[in-house]
Amino acid sequence: MGKKLIKLIGLGLILLLVQGISQVNAANITKVGLVTDVGKINDGTFNESAYKGMMRAVQEFGLKSAFIETRQPTDYEKNIEQLISEGYEMIITVGFLVGDATKKMAQKYPNVKFAIVDFAYDPPVPNILGLIFAEDQAGFLAGSLAGLMTKSKIVGAVLGMEIPPVVRFRKGYEAGVKYVCPDCKVLAVYIDSFTDPARGKSAALSQIDEGADVIFGGGGTTGSGAILGAAQAGVWVIGVDQDEYMTTFKKGEAPGAKKLLSSAMKRVDNAVYGAVKAAVDGSFKGGTALFNAGNDGIGLAPFHEAETAIPDTVKAKLKEIADGLKAGKIKTGV
Amino acid sequence: MVPIFREILIPILAVFTALILGAVLIEISGVSFIEAYRGLFEGMFGSRRALIETCVAATPYLLTGLAVAIGFQGGLFNIGAEGQFYMGALASVIVGYTVQGLPAWLHLPLALVVGAISGAVWGSIPGLLKARLGAHEVINTIMMNYIALKLVDYLVKNVFRDPAASMDRTPYILPTAQLPRMFGPDYRLHAGFLLALAAVVFTHWLLFKTTLGFEIRTVGANPGAARYAGMNVAGNIVLAMAMAGAMAGLAGVGEVLGLNHTLPAAFSAGYGFDAIAVALLAKSNPMGIIPSAFLWGGLRNGAGLMQVRTGISIDLISVIQALVIMFIAANQIVRWIYRIN
Repeated sequence: MGKKLIKLIGLGLILLLVQGISQVNAANITKVGLVTDVGKINDGTFNESAYKGMMRAVQEFGLKSAFIETRQPTDYEKNIEQLISEGYEMIITVGFLVGDATKKMAQKYPNVKFAIVDFAYDPPVPNILGLIFAEDQAGFLAGSLAGLMTKSKIVGAVLGMEIPPVVRFRKGYEAGVKYVCPDCKVLAVYIDSFTDPARGKSAALSQIDEGADVIFGGGGTTGSGAILGAAQAGVWVIGVDQDEYMTTFKKGEAPGAKKLLSSAMKRVDNAVYGAVKAAVDGSFKGGTALFNAGNDGIGLAPFHEAETAIPDTVKAKLKEIADGLKAGKIKTGV
Repeated sequence: MVPIFREILIPILAVFTALILGAVLIEISGVSFIEAYRGLFEGMFGSRRALIETCVAATPYLLTGLAVAIGFQGGLFNIGAEGQFYMGALASVIVGYTVQGLPAWLHLPLALVVGAISGAVWGSIPGLLKARLGAHEVINTIMMNYIALKLVDYLVKNVFRDPAASMDRTPYILPTAQLPRMFGPDYRLHAGFLLALAAVVFTHWLLFKTTLGFEIRTVGANPGAARYAGMNVAGNIVLAMAMAGAMAGLAGVGEVLGLNHTLPAAFSAGYGFDAIAVALLAKSNPMGIIPSAFLWGGLRNGAGLMQVRTGISIDLISVIQALVIMFIAANQIVRWIYRIN
């Protein structure tokens, strides 16, 4: 019995040691590359946010970096492989749609580290870190803000493709509106592109025609087109993913900037930064990292020029809701 | 000058001039054009993988370029290659994953043929409308594009969607329907490339060495004279459009059976539209399609490495391509710059 126990402890120690050694030997990266979803690194939303997160790590740790902007979905794998063939040791892929391609390449190149925004693998892949977000909570905050600000009791949402993260945004938004304004009506529409500002705008304008006086735009440049058009038509708008005051509304220079209430932020930048940092310091591990209200992974952006137009009672209510989400007292029901 | 040299001089100078203007644009955007072009050309043919990937990218251009060139030869402006491409891809993916239990020697040809027929049918509809009703093929091929794109989009998202996939796409085709990879599983070049080259040679033979080809070209050059000579004008129009559709359809088939093994929705390839440029650069000559398709495929392929090396926007490639076509269309500019008469 005692011998067995000693053996077991010995085995355990050896295992620990081996693991320790393998961690020490874990090749720390010097080159990191990013492959966008169909779209550009200056799209003002999630591709840009991911790129900024990567670049923050690149500057801080003195890495070499590159990116490829994907032009069509069938190029995902080719673009990933292009970076790997140039010696990039870590690849960031952006977006749910790149999920399959990332997995395939990760299995083909087990020594390359991957981080993907908006995708979680079940079962996990050992060299991919999935970065996922509680979009429903971000949407809930946006919905609450919309529901508190609407006068017509009709609010709109122009969304991108109907994929899980976007669906969570929508459901959270609807729940948020209903939470603060049970008799408000939500008009929401999916548009099957993340890169079509013109269609986003026309969808927003038709929601305004239907009486909506707050528009939430959630879906790449399609959503940005929607809120830009709606803001210029004079209604309140809410952005998505990052603080669109800084991007879509060019720090206030774009017309309509004073109508931007806030943005339902997903801190994709922080998540990507964290993933690269982990790969640099050797603590990178495959799996899933969830970002939500509890760890400040999501939240509302500053109000900027709308600061004075938003009553203090609304701000107080929003804070209460944010705290409730953080503490888990408020559930989005998604 | 030797006639063949005269023929290709203008396209070569057009490409050269476009690259020079592109270099100026790159410098203006603050990047060394030498760095950028080194990345571009290495990405096109600087390594075994790059060269193979250029062949991969050239494959659909060879076939869709032919689709447009056949139309031009028959006096028809086929803008519908994109739609024909999709219909071919759709038909082949359906055959590829639903028909089970066939051996590869039967399954693969079946998927190829059904795909080509599907493209041919799609192409012949505007041909028929032109031949019977005089409806302009430009309008109708464009409209058929919309119908094909949205139809395929709807079907892939709602009817044929693979429930296990992260993006909207059909299930993968069975291995028996796959076009074999020519250099093993590590490289993406598939037998569709050889098929495309064979199609080029075949089209050249058909157009210039057979009575049928002569009739198609005569109808294209002068329908009145063709009719007077006793040729079946309507029949030749439908036939030319059907052949064009079959080629574009095969391009879609190759992408499905050889490359992706599935058909994704919202898969805006643009091969059918770029094909117009490819055919223009080739002056609608089937043999000319080969260098033209390689240039287009190479630029598309090399753009990735150019961006990796210099961070320059991939859209620059589109600008260079547009400049090439402008210089081809307005070849007086090129003639004037280089003092050619």
